[in-house]
Amino acid sequence: MAAVTGSAAVKSAKSCKKYRTVKRRASIYTYQEPPHSNSDNDNGEEKADSHDPEQIFQNIQYQKEIMSNIRCRPWPMRQKLRALRQAKEIVLKYEGRLTRTRGYQAAGAELWRKFIRLAYNFVVIFIPWEMRIKKIESHFGSGVASYFIFLRWLFGINIVLTIMTGAFVVLPELLAGAPFGSTVSKTIPKEHIASAQDLDTIWSLGGYLQYSVLFYGYYGRDRKIGKAGYRLPLAYFLVGMAVFAYSFIILLKKMAKNSRMSLASASDENYTFCWRLFCAWDYLIGNPEAAESKAAAIVNSIREAILEEQEKKKSKNLAVTISLRIIANILVLLSLAGSIYIIYFVVDRSQRLERTKKELTLWEKNEVSVVVSLITMIAPSAFELVAALEMYHPRTTLRFQLARVLVLYLGNLYSLIIALLDKVDSMSVTDSEVNYDASNSTTYLPTKTLPEEKNLSTTIPDVQIKRNSTVTLEDSRTQNLTVSDSLVNKTVFFDYNTQNPQDQCWETYVGQEMLKLSIIDMIFTVASILLIDFFRGLFVRYLSDCWCWDLESKFPEYGEFKIAENVLHLVYNQGMIWMGAFFSPCLPAFNVLKLIGLMYLRSWAVLTCNVPHQQVFRASRSNNFYLAMLLFMLFLCMLPTIFAIARYKPSLNCGPFSGQEKIYDIVSETIQNDFPAWFNTVITYISSPVVVLPALLLLFMLIYYLQSIARSLKFTNNQLRMKIQTERTEDKKKVVQMAAARIQNLDGNDKRPEQESDIISQESSVRSSTPRKNGSVLNFESPVSKSTRIQTISQSVAQTVPSADAARPVNTTPTTSTSLTPAPSVPSVQKPRSDHITNRYPSVVHGSAGDLCKTKPYTPVTFKKHVEDVHSEPLFRKGIRQVNPDALGAGAPVFVGRRPHATRYFLVNEHESRKKLLRSTSRLPKHFRMDEAGDIIELYPRNVRRYVVRTPHRMYSPHPSEEEDDEEDLRRDLMSRTHRPRSLSDLRPAPRFYIGEHADGHVLMGKDIAKVHYKSWDDGFELDLDRPPYAYKKVHLKNVEVDQHYPEQRVKPKSKQKLEQSLTESDSVSIESSSDPQNSGNDQYIQVIHSKEKYLKPGAKLTKKKSKNSIDLSVSEPNDLVCSNV
Amino acid sequence: MGNKQTIFTPEQLDAYQDCTFFTRKEILRLFYRYRDLAPQLVPLDYTDKPDVTLPYELIGSMPELKDNPFRQRIAEVFSEDGEGNMTLDDFLDMFSVLSEMAPRDLKAYYAFKIYDFNNDDYICKSDLEKTVNKLTRNELTPEEVSLACDKVIDEADLDNDGKLSLEDFQHMIIRAPDFLSTFHIRI
Repeated sequence: MAAVTGSAAVKSAKSCKKYRTVKRRASIYTYQEPPHSNSDNDNGEEKADSHDPEQIFQNIQYQKEIMSNIRCRPWPMRQKLRALRQAKEIVLKYEGRLTRTRGYQAAGAELWRKFIRLAYNFVVIFIPWEMRIKKIESHFGSGVASYFIFLRWLFGINIVLTIMTGAFVVLPELLAGAPFGSTVSKTIPKEHIASAQDLDTIWSLGGYLQYSVLFYGYYGRDRKIGKAGYRLPLAYFLVGMAVFAYSFIILLKKMAKNSRMSLASASDENYTFCWRLFCAWDYLIGNPEAAESKAAAIVNSIREAILEEQEKKKSKNLAVTISLRIIANILVLLSLAGSIYIIYFVVDRSQRLERTKKELTLWEKNEVSVVVSLITMIAPSAFELVAALEMYHPRTTLRFQLARVLVLYLGNLYSLIIALLDKVDSMSVTDSEVNYDASNSTTYLPTKTLPEEKNLSTTIPDVQIKRNSTVTLEDSRTQNLTVSDSLVNKTVFFDYNTQNPQDQCWETYVGQEMLKLSIIDMIFTVASILLIDFFRGLFVRYLSDCWCWDLESKFPEYGEFKIAENVLHLVYNQGMIWMGAFFSPCLPAFNVLKLIGLMYLRSWAVLTCNVPHQQVFRASRSNNFYLAMLLFMLFLCMLPTIFAIARYKPSLNCGPFSGQEKIYDIVSETIQNDFPAWFNTVITYISSPVVVLPALLLLFMLIYYLQSIARSLKFTNNQLRMKIQTERTEDKKKVVQMAAARIQNLDGNDKRPEQESDIISQESSVRSSTPRKNGSVLNFESPVSKSTRIQTISQSVAQTVPSADAARPVNTTPTTSTSLTPAPSVPSVQKPRSDHITNRYPSVVHGSAGDLCKTKPYTPVTFKKHVEDVHSEPLFRKGIRQVNPDALGAGAPVFVGRRPHATRYFLVNEHESRKKLLRSTSRLPKHFRMDEAGDIIELYPRNVRRYVVRTPHRMYSPHPSEEEDDEEDLRRDLMSRTHRPRSLSDLRPAPRFYIGEHADGHVLMGKDIAKVHYKSWDDGFELDLDRPPYAYKKVHLKNVEVDQHYPEQRVKPKSKQKLEQSLTESDSVSIESSSDPQNSGNDQYIQVIHSKEKYLKPGAKLTKKKSKNSIDLSVSEPNDLVCSNV
Repeated sequence: MGNKQTIFTPEQLDAYQDCTFFTRKEILRLFYRYRDLAPQLVPLDYTDKPDVTLPYELIGSMPELKDNPFRQRIAEVFSEDGEGNMTLDDFLDMFSVLSEMAPRDLKAYYAFKIYDFNNDDYICKSDLEKTVNKLTRNELTPEEVSLACDKVIDEADLDNDGKLSLEDFQHMIIRAPDFLSTFHIRI
């Protein structure tokens, strides 16, 4: 037994392999057109119309297409190479017939393609920090890496901004502008020369730095500079605007791209598990440590997904969560309001102090900045605590946290902006005052500025005290407010009392502020990284051994990398750059340096002293959240700049726009002066309300239109998704119903449902057969229900005056019906019965092989049997023949001939029904599938017993005449019907039932030949298995002669007993193998008898001839099979 | 340069370039990588197409594949004999598909084959379980594994046959945002 299964396994493995290769090719072919068919077609075409240039051209195009994207085809290399060679040959052969230009075109295109590829390869090299980021990614996951990717992206933007400002503003000014010291605005005032190189001065960006290309004030006001007449002021203005425009465009583009990418994903979030599984492994990971952490991360993420899934099902207490969330939000709002109030209070207090006290302590000087920075440090943590209350999904929590911190930062930044603008306001006021009366201005100024300042949360404290130096003092004050830097305080400008007109450069002042802010921010970042991450890490690492509690797991721990805060910090930083870029053209350049430094510092800190965040959520590249924040920031930062540009008069004595009423006048001025008159008129028309208003209207309409389209698309999108969803669920329901019905059938006591289902299951094949032959149809159904079978039998009998012909219908019908392999049947029809003999070999063989090929590996169990059967047949056939010659010679061949077809047919059905079942089971747990398999195994034994008991009677009782046989058939069928209810009650769909058919055949014949064989049934198989098919045929022929000695009559009674015995035996030995012989004995008998009727005695010579034929057929048929499978 | 010329004929190199996503230089580099795995086995002259096959043990020990839980599958899928023993052609094929330039569809096709452990052209539950276990190094409990597998099938199985066909898989994977970035090997 074990040996049998072993050999069976070998067989199945072999057949599986074969199947695999077949399937592989098949799938390849279906994926894209097979090369062979291509070449075939091509050859055909060439022959057919090689003179039609158009055809040739198309052909060549086609081949070229193959050549160009052959690398995209999933073929093994060898195949690709072959196909490529073919294609090239064809192209080479025929391209000469076409015009030369086409060839050149193609060559040019090829060259271009190669160049593009080269350029691309070149560019890829310059993507910075790729490995660094990959390394971080492999340690910390995509969340942390997303910070660095974001940083890198910002770096890219800043590079572009730097190039823009550097190339169009800074460089021309340096090269062609008036040199340092040549004009008033480019020289350091005498009073300051002495202190211009002091560290203090430099630190506060005064002195030499103030009078350099860093700031707006340095740029000359000449309309054209250099020999080429470069319009620097215009360039300055346009570049300033272009910075914003570029940022907007690149940001929106990125967002659009991201949303396009995430649209597909966002629309069906339901792929979480799939993605976590199939996209989880980063194939780049190349070191064991990273692999380990990646594996751990994957475990986490899957667990997380499972948890989430379970969370989903859990119904939460809504009221509690909602109230908690409300409370949390109130808390957040309170803390925000509180922080604003504290800032206001501190600013107010420091203002009062400034007014009342002459000497300020260090604390009093820095009060405001310290408070502000403290708030910015503490508030996020407080928000985090509050967020714990809300019990959102961690991803949502993160977003809330980010939004709140963003608001906080914005409040911070905006307080600075408002203070600055106030300053500017007061400066322009003083400017105008200065023109009238220098002495007056000091008294006038405070009254003008103070009230305003008080309304705002930020104030300029020492206006009243140091009236003479208001402007510069306020500089340092405001900077103090936001920047929290103690060093900067009013160090620079105390010593001059007269208002120097060249100091009245508010643009420079704003630029200084922004640059200072940026520098101090950088210092703070570095300090916090060192303190919070590095020293803490060191502390925890080295002191944890001698501390009273576990430092690593309890209080200080290692620093976590807080993605949210860090990203926000980047956004904040970028906002400062945008805000100041117009007034300090070198700000982007500075930011580039800063970002580079930050990149290295951060990545170092992350890799050395941070631990991965406990919950890594991907707010990754595909996520637009960071970008949305950045966009928001950009907008908010652009507002004040635009406002300043539009609202304020540029400084009189410095900068490219000095002397103009408004900064943007430069554009209209240029248009007026330097462009032809017609252009000017066009511009005036365009800018007139006549054009602007309709244009605006049009824009609105367009926006509305697009939006409504978007809305409708969204709607349809939703509906489609709903449709898919419902269809899926309905499908599921249907499948479940079917499955349930199946189960009922299996368990049910009623036979009819089964039969019905059988019929249904076979209907499809019946239909396929009908068009071909009428007679066949009837015959065809016969296996399904007994009554029809009778009819068919009689039919065939009627036709069978000539024995050979008689066999034909029976034989052919099944084959045609099987539709799998129609080819073999056709030839067989015309040949005498011996043909049938031969036929059945191939057909059986390839029938079963086909099944093997088709069925999935998990079914081999059943199909192994077929293989065995196929091989074992010959033995039994011999037996049949011996029997037949005596009684009715025809019986054996026809029987044999028919059997294979029948089996094949059923196998096909089996396959189909199995498929159905599988499909139906798909939604049920998969035990069902297993059940099915189990059923097969279990059911057969029962059948068999019953049938076996019956079958012997019929089988051996009548032989001689056709009429008798018919009658017998009838009788039998009647009997079988009566029997069936019992036996079939356990039975299931037909297919399974019939699987055993060959086996049945064996049983019968086996008996005749040798009982010994029969007993050692399994062993016999084994032997047979190893024999090649033709061996059987030989055996055959011998047997025909030899076996005739066996008196069948004698055998009968014994064989009956034997049969029964053997059945029980085999049952006990192995359910599987024994089930085959047992199950459908009934049908088998019928067939046997048929064949007898139809057959004349088979001559040994004839069979020989047939055997040859059969070989041929068998050769050809497998091919057919392959095709049909494909 | 003359040295390189003797390894492949120019025609061979051209053909390889057409069939892979590599440049001439990369192909040669890959050849040397291949040869370095077993210098005594691989001849320096490939002009007459010697039939050399490196066993899986050597292929799998490459640093690029060493830590990959699916290295065995990758080798099996790309080798012509299905056992992971690779000829140079297979080797080039493998890295071509896994290169950055390979299109999404091609990658998806081979990813499918890689995850289809039993080669039945469907990713069934047993395949998924193997995938999960390989990914997580058997850290998950059987319940978790089976739950995850069920969820995957539930999510991606569009035709309700209880397993993922190539179409199902492609449909799913093409939407994945980071499939392209993760399913490639830099060599």
